[in-house]
Amino acid sequence: MRLKKRISAYTLAFAFASTTAAFAQQKAEVLHWWTSAGESASVKVFADQFTKAGGTWVDNAIAGGANARTAGINRMVGGNPPTMMQFNTGKQFDELVSNELVRDVEQQAKAGKWRELMPKPIVDATVRNGKFYAVPVNIHGQNWMFYNTKVFADAGLEVPKTFPELVATGEKLKAKGVIPIALGGQPNWEHNLFRAVVVGHGGADMFRKLYGARDQATVKSSKFKETVELFGKMRALVDPGSPGRNWNDATALVITNKAAMHFNGDWAKGEFIAAGQTAGKEYGCALVGEGGGKLVIGGDVFVFPVTKDKAQTATQDKLIEVLLDPTSQIEFNKKKGSIPVRMDVDVSSMDTCAQKSHAVLKDPANQVEAMEMLSTPNFSGAMQDAVTQYWNNANMTADAFIEKILGAMRDAS
Amino acid sequence: MSTVSLRAPSISPATAPPRRRLLTRLPAAFALLPTALIVLIVYIGCMLWTVRLSFTSSTLLPKLDWVGLAQYSRLFANDRFLTSAENIVIFGFLFISGCLILGFLLAVFIDQNVRGEGLFRTLFLYPYAMSFVVTGVAWQWFLNPGLGLQKLVRDMGFPNFTFDWLVNQDMAIYTIVIAGLWHGSGLTMAILLAGLRGVDNDLWKAARVDGVPTWRVYASIILPLLRPMIVTATVLLATGVVKLYDLVVAMTLGGPGIATEVPAKFVMDHLFERNNIALGTAAATIMLVAVISILAPWVYMKYVRREGRHA
Amino acid sequence: MSDVIPQGRRPRHLTPARIGVYAFLITAALFFLLPLWIMVVTSLKPMDEIRLGNIIAWPQALTFEAWTKAWSSACTGLECNGISVGFWNSVRILIPSVICSIIVGAVNGYALSFWRVKGANILFGVLLLGAFIPYQVFLYPLVRIFSMTGVYNSLLCIVIVHVIFGLPTMTLLFRNYYASLPIELFKAARIDGGGFWTIFFRVMLPMSTPMLVVATILQVTGIWNDFIFGLTFAGRENLPMTVQLNNIVHSTQGERAYNVDMAATMLAALVPLVVYFVSGRWFVRGIAAGAVKG
Repeated sequence: MRLKKRISAYTLAFAFASTTAAFAQQKAEVLHWWTSAGESASVKVFADQFTKAGGTWVDNAIAGGANARTAGINRMVGGNPPTMMQFNTGKQFDELVSNELVRDVEQQAKAGKWRELMPKPIVDATVRNGKFYAVPVNIHGQNWMFYNTKVFADAGLEVPKTFPELVATGEKLKAKGVIPIALGGQPNWEHNLFRAVVVGHGGADMFRKLYGARDQATVKSSKFKETVELFGKMRALVDPGSPGRNWNDATALVITNKAAMHFNGDWAKGEFIAAGQTAGKEYGCALVGEGGGKLVIGGDVFVFPVTKDKAQTATQDKLIEVLLDPTSQIEFNKKKGSIPVRMDVDVSSMDTCAQKSHAVLKDPANQVEAMEMLSTPNFSGAMQDAVTQYWNNANMTADAFIEKILGAMRDAS
Repeated sequence: MSTVSLRAPSISPATAPPRRRLLTRLPAAFALLPTALIVLIVYIGCMLWTVRLSFTSSTLLPKLDWVGLAQYSRLFANDRFLTSAENIVIFGFLFISGCLILGFLLAVFIDQNVRGEGLFRTLFLYPYAMSFVVTGVAWQWFLNPGLGLQKLVRDMGFPNFTFDWLVNQDMAIYTIVIAGLWHGSGLTMAILLAGLRGVDNDLWKAARVDGVPTWRVYASIILPLLRPMIVTATVLLATGVVKLYDLVVAMTLGGPGIATEVPAKFVMDHLFERNNIALGTAAATIMLVAVISILAPWVYMKYVRREGRHA
Repeated sequence: MSDVIPQGRRPRHLTPARIGVYAFLITAALFFLLPLWIMVVTSLKPMDEIRLGNIIAWPQALTFEAWTKAWSSACTGLECNGISVGFWNSVRILIPSVICSIIVGAVNGYALSFWRVKGANILFGVLLLGAFIPYQVFLYPLVRIFSMTGVYNSLLCIVIVHVIFGLPTMTLLFRNYYASLPIELFKAARIDGGGFWTIFFRVMLPMSTPMLVVATILQVTGIWNDFIFGLTFAGRENLPMTVQLNNIVHSTQGERAYNVDMAATMLAALVPLVVYFVSGRWFVRGIAAGAVKG
């Protein structure tokens, strides 16, 4: 790795020298995992803007984050990296930074005042050792509750605002023959639901202490046990066909009036849009929790592998400009279902759910950093194993679950 | 005991003087040289590399520190890994025996000079050609109590019919076996059919003349003759068992809970999702050790101790 | 019972035994067809109908749109050209990889089962063990090896990788097949003065047809459907069709068009399916028997 250090110092020296130099052929290979129809449309926004700016976008899409990341990391190690590569906002690329495989973009960040424009959790998740090492491009809210307006109107019930209310409402809905909660019964979506309950009922502080500080006292507290028990009660609000189901099939249950509520990230809007439904009409989105609810925010970033090629570095600089350009930001995020990472752009042309996100995030107290930012992939995974066992075993007590979490905290580095 | 016991005793060296024997064997040795190099560099090299990494604290990228057995003590305290190990034994036994039985029956029945042999053969083989990412979805829908078989039978007027294995923690692993049989028995059929077609015609004629019933010919003559093919099929199926991953990901993602987790998925998740190369390679090492301890005696008896096929 | 013996002409009359044979085959075929039925009907429905969840029902609004979309206009990233893009790449990878791996496997199997080379069986033992390691474990070290030698990310690289990982099964397949052939055959060829290669090409290879068919089935399927090696070693210009297929069917956060997914999967499987069907005529009987005579 020492050799790499030298190489990167060398390239950085050239990077600054060459930013202003114009290069006729700016060819950028971009590795990402946005492959569905909606996602493709959103990538196209960046690609078009880059083309307009005189570059050539060479698209390299590989579905499945783990597949794409593995392919990209292998290529960096093999000495043939793409120009720019996607990651989730958070700890996924920590080691690429410490091994000097990606360059910093601090110069651009300073010039563009990123620290002022972006929510603090996003900044913190992208900065290492005081420097930006990635360009955030969007904010995804992960704990939205989508609900079917018709189902609630027909049942004559109010949309619940807190989780205890939700459990009570859910039982009434169930009695009327509606599936109260549509859940994609795969471990990561079960875990996502759990996190929504922790933030909504236990609060942002508990969420951070659980995933970030791994504070055992928090987990042993009575409030946490209460939260876990509430989550346990929600097992009865899911239909028996849930285990193994894709999240898309769960969303379809809400779309077809079979289910009332569905917890998911704002990317689920894509399914509603594909079915021709409009936010605020056939379906709504809400944050459930004490005090109006907090929004768990994650998103996507691009990193820029270190390269010996000056022209490539200049191309990277051009890409950075394109990614954070206000017009690209709005258009990209409209198609992606997320909201702009810059809080200074006008979102009035976006859908009501996106506007709600933007409004909620105006108050820093409502910003809760996503698990991916707080916790290592390894600890997140260990938590997921614990959550899915608890969720799928109605006989497992809250205490046994808490014991598993404590085990995961001790064990997962 | 071995596949070769039916065969005539050793032949070649008796006729040639020792010096010439060596020379005539030289081309054979040369032919095996590239394989030897690959085995040495790729297979043995990667095995050692894997074992080495399992003693480190590597996370996203490999690093070569030393933490002793720490990863192994973590591994054996991990209930997901223990469940995985249990599942692979259940799956392995049912899948291999099921594929062999079904594959043999299919091969024998197809070998009865039936009409549309090509069509039947393709039908039994096609699952093998399809990516599991999507055929898994089809199985998942069919086994889902709210969408598939259970709903269909109930709609036909049997409201108490229940088939919820997919969502039942105790039964879900068997749905993986069913889909596995669907996927793998066609290939077993093809291998055994190739074996059946290699059987000497005279053998059938002789049996017919002697009036031996067909089933007895299969049981006491054909089956022993097919032994090398059965071994081939078993080894292929067994490698599939150890590598079982796609099927589980497509159908249950290890759920409900951790009820259908398998070792290869544990390795994959830790190597690539969870940035925990050390724990992943430790699990891979344990798999390797398990495979070696099951196979080594057999491989040794069968292939190593008996130099060549006829020693 | 003699009519069940698979020789001679096809019987004219249906006896109970033959009815039993067909009943078994047809029942088995139905079990095998079940998921295919679900996939076919789903691929012919519009998404609205799929959301309703009648998975077995014949489409009410029959449409072939998903098939054309899957082939030529489904999005796989920035480009929306369906899975057709990688078709020729897959073919270019498939042909040399299948041929090379089968030849290497056949030669190995032949050398192992008829010639006594010192240490050859230890070699085979290790190779067999290697077949049990999950591929993914090999990725990282192989990337390092290939980038050192400079062939990383090329057609040559992916072909080498397929040959390497085809070695255990191909060798096993041919070794055991040759082990089941009568040894007298080899003896006779040796007495006639045949050398290593002469015997292989003149005697063994012509007798291997059924196993060559099985080997082709195995390798065509394995290599055509390979995703992870193609992705890791082929380089961007040579990405196989499975990468596009994966991009269509496997998006974590994207909305999902099941009809296109199903159609794409079936289209992607066409090449191996054609191979299965056509290869049938080489599943011939009794070659060994004919050759051994005398």
